[in-house]
Amino acid sequence: MSGTAMGVDVDRVSKRFAHRVKGEVYAARDVTLRVQPGEFLTLLGPSGCGKTTTLRMIAGFERPDAGRICFGNDDVTGVPANRRNIGFVFQNYALFPHLSIFENVAYGLRVRGEPEDAITRAVSDVLALVGLGAHEQQFPAQLSGGEQQRVALARAIVIRPRVLLFDEPLSNLDAKLRVQMRNEIRDLQRRLSITTIYVTHDQEEAMAVSDRIAVMNQGRVVQEGTAEDLYHRPATQFVAQFVGRVNLIAGVVQTINGRSATIAALGRAIVARPSPCDLIAGDSVQIALRPEAIAIAQTSAPGSLQATVLSSVFLGDKVEYLVRCGDETLQVARYNAGPTTPLAAGTAVGLSFAEDAVVVLRTSRESAT
Amino acid sequence: MSAAGVAPTAVVAGRPSRDIGITLTVAALWLLLALFVVYPLVMLFARMLGMLGGRGSVDFGALLALLTDRNQLRAFWNSLLLAFLVGTVGTLAGFLFAFTATRCRLPGAAVTAIDASVLLPLVSPPFTTAIAMIFSFGPRGLITYGVFGLKGYTVYGLGATLFSEALTYFPIAYLTLRPILTAIDSNIEGMAQSLGASRWRVFRTVTLPLTVPGIANAFLLLFAASLADFATPLILAGNSFPVLPTQAYLQITGLFDLRGGAALSFALLVPALIVFLLQRYWVSRRFYVTITGKGAGQTPFDSVSPGGRIVLIASVISITVVVAYFYALLLYASLVVALGANHTPTLAHYRVIFTDGWNAIRDTLIIAGFSMPLGGLYGILLGYLVTRHRFPGRRTMEAVSMMNYALPGTIVGIAYLIAFNDPPLVLTGTALIIIACYVFRYGPTGIRATVALLQQIDPSLEEASQGLGARSGTTFRRVTLPLIMPAFFAGLGIVFIRSMTAISATIFLVSISWTLITVKILEDITELSLGPAAAFSVLVVVIVFVVVAGISRVLREFRAPGAPGVSLFGG
Ligand SMILES: Nc1ncnc2c1ncn2[C@@H]1O[C@H](COP(=O)(O)OP(=O)(O)OP(=O)(O)O)[C@@H](O)[C@H]1O
Ligand SMILES: [Mg+2]
Repeated sequence: MSGTAMGVDVDRVSKRFAHRVKGEVYAARDVTLRVQPGEFLTLLGPSGCGKTTTLRMIAGFERPDAGRICFGNDDVTGVPANRRNIGFVFQNYALFPHLSIFENVAYGLRVRGEPEDAITRAVSDVLALVGLGAHEQQFPAQLSGGEQQRVALARAIVIRPRVLLFDEPLSNLDAKLRVQMRNEIRDLQRRLSITTIYVTHDQEEAMAVSDRIAVMNQGRVVQEGTAEDLYHRPATQFVAQFVGRVNLIAGVVQTINGRSATIAALGRAIVARPSPCDLIAGDSVQIALRPEAIAIAQTSAPGSLQATVLSSVFLGDKVEYLVRCGDETLQVARYNAGPTTPLAAGTAVGLSFAEDAVVVLRTSRESAT
Repeated sequence: MSAAGVAPTAVVAGRPSRDIGITLTVAALWLLLALFVVYPLVMLFARMLGMLGGRGSVDFGALLALLTDRNQLRAFWNSLLLAFLVGTVGTLAGFLFAFTATRCRLPGAAVTAIDASVLLPLVSPPFTTAIAMIFSFGPRGLITYGVFGLKGYTVYGLGATLFSEALTYFPIAYLTLRPILTAIDSNIEGMAQSLGASRWRVFRTVTLPLTVPGIANAFLLLFAASLADFATPLILAGNSFPVLPTQAYLQITGLFDLRGGAALSFALLVPALIVFLLQRYWVSRRFYVTITGKGAGQTPFDSVSPGGRIVLIASVISITVVVAYFYALLLYASLVVALGANHTPTLAHYRVIFTDGWNAIRDTLIIAGFSMPLGGLYGILLGYLVTRHRFPGRRTMEAVSMMNYALPGTIVGIAYLIAFNDPPLVLTGTALIIIACYVFRYGPTGIRATVALLQQIDPSLEEASQGLGARSGTTFRRVTLPLIMPAFFAGLGIVFIRSMTAISATIFLVSISWTLITVKILEDITELSLGPAAAFSVLVVVIVFVVVAGISRVLREFRAPGAPGVSLFGG
């Protein structure tokens, strides 16, 4: 399709809704996103955080109360959805129940007044592309969920949109199909290199498909970056908890020297690289440690933390432990290289982790939901 | 499970019943249906063919002469024309209201106002607008004579009848179309728009096609309502525009020709039956499922341009104003000496209806009071049996139960008149004949509500009760009944409203000992005592409003958490 993909700039966009009790609530607040041409950006966040609202403003279904939205150099803030040239895929697919699959996909082309033979060709091509060539004359109600999903996708891309928008497109599918479809969507997007904005609340899905992820909470974008950035260098406690699982441990800054800090936590001094740079000695902080970053061993090597196993769960690829270490209860995951026997409750163990696995976060009242 | 234990419960639609209680109830219902639905219609048919009434032989010649009489033929075609026009105009108005209510982002109070204004025609006797038409456009009409000073102007004819019937029946179209428009997932319309379609194109290619089955349904309902309406044409059609139901009525009351009346009403049966079958078995299969699971948009699609919105709202307001004007006029007319001549305030008309008219009021309330619970009970019993139990003739039972409901009232009334005038069962002159007429004619609303409700309730609930050892009577009482209470009250409400407002069937069944308000209103109109007629109409509207409000309240109370809802008028 068109080789010239187009970037999307969302510039300090806000949207308020009337609320029965609170009077007014911000569904989106000062949202700024910079999507590169051909990039796949995902909006990730818990339910009610404003993902759909943001996406609907980009699509033109909702008018922002403040801010600007540009496609490339076009300011589209006041342009209605039907003149933005976008492809939208809804969570419930929103197929036209009274039209055949062929006519569903052809709809956007007919609106554009394309000649009949061009329509026939384009629709057949795109249906073949999504693997539904044989279903042209059927109706939406006769298709399975996954097939309906593909029709929705075909209908969105056949018009060669400037931007492709997805709102939780996979949440009505079962787990296996979800994995398969997300790979298909990713491949298709790469092949067509259409700038794409994708909404989900499933962090694994977000990591699997995106070039970049923007995490939202309570109407705001709280952090933006690649999956690795978010996972290994979360900027806030909320992001650390929302993306993956994490142990948050209270601590106090002891000393700062250059790019490393010493934190008093778990009853000892832990050396880490602080991510907020303006910490001073005496600040109370939290340190974040992923369960799989903690090594657990029965023989305690010198320098390891003493702990006791509280419980263990065998999950096939790994064993998940809850251990007691000082005043804290920690989650620890150990992946199984071969057949192993989980350590029994009450076993004394030693814990260790690498310096760069520790993330220091400022203590905040913001909580994960 | 042991061999003697509970039967496997794989059957979803129902189970064969071996319960004695069920068998007895089914037998009793068949007996009642045979007596009050099948028997009268058979007698009507027989009378029409001339086998009864003394001649003893089939006299096709006379029958043919009557049915091919130029006047009667004209009445037949007039009826169809009127029904077609009422269907078209009423559906248009209903769609206009439903679309405005669902798509114009109106504030809640405005939607409530719309609902209230469509409720008025629904709960008043069918010819209330006709009376208001005479007050406005009659020989001494407020508008024709009072405002424009026209003398000798006559409204009577197709135009006035059409106007009055469309205004009376368009709420049915509104109630049919509104849920359908509401149910369309706004994402579907949003999708069309994002594919580049303008608002108008979205309306034309998505919204409208998805509503077509509802529109067809509404049209057929209005067509049937108009075809059956005899009171409005009686008052407004005049001599120049005869229609079949009025002709049949005049044939019987004017010429005392029961057989001719039977034949004329039978001519109505053919189009009425066609319309009913179309509506029931063809249109109802064509509805689209437009809500596809989780994620339906919470924001309604912005489908109307600011200019279009103004036009829509203005049209709705003007129709609402007309309705409001008619009812205000009715109220006013009931409170002055003689509308158009002497506007001195008086309560005399109310004094008249509570003295001379007291019998009618008392009789109506007694009859409505008996019909209401019986009709409600009949509705849920039959509805429950045909959806949850399998017994021979189950489908037939449902179809037969719908007959009195589907046929124009004139036919039913004449059939009862013929059937219950002579032995073996003489009911003429009793209240029972009127009550039976109401129960079997309007009870089916309760049947349909029950069937619709039960289809949404998983049979496994009842199977669980049976699995715990409960007999079907216990299961019905303890499990099913609480779940279908809403349908019971919906059926109850409709039977009451109709008992207060209907006339087309029961006008043939009233007697010296038992009469009805609606019949009294008609007498008053023909005697030109319009004041009491207006006062009676106001009284009926008030009573019905109060009772409907009460029942709606109970309906809300009874709605178990999580149970599907039923509205008093919807569907
Ligand atoms: N039309 C509306 N009217 C009032 N409030 C709204 C409207 N649309 C959204 N909101 C509110 O704005 C907030 C954000 O909603 P939004 O649909 O964008 O959340 P979301 O992140 O997509 O959530 P989910 O994951 O559940 O889909 C919510 O609190 C919601 O209740
Ligand atoms: Mg959402």
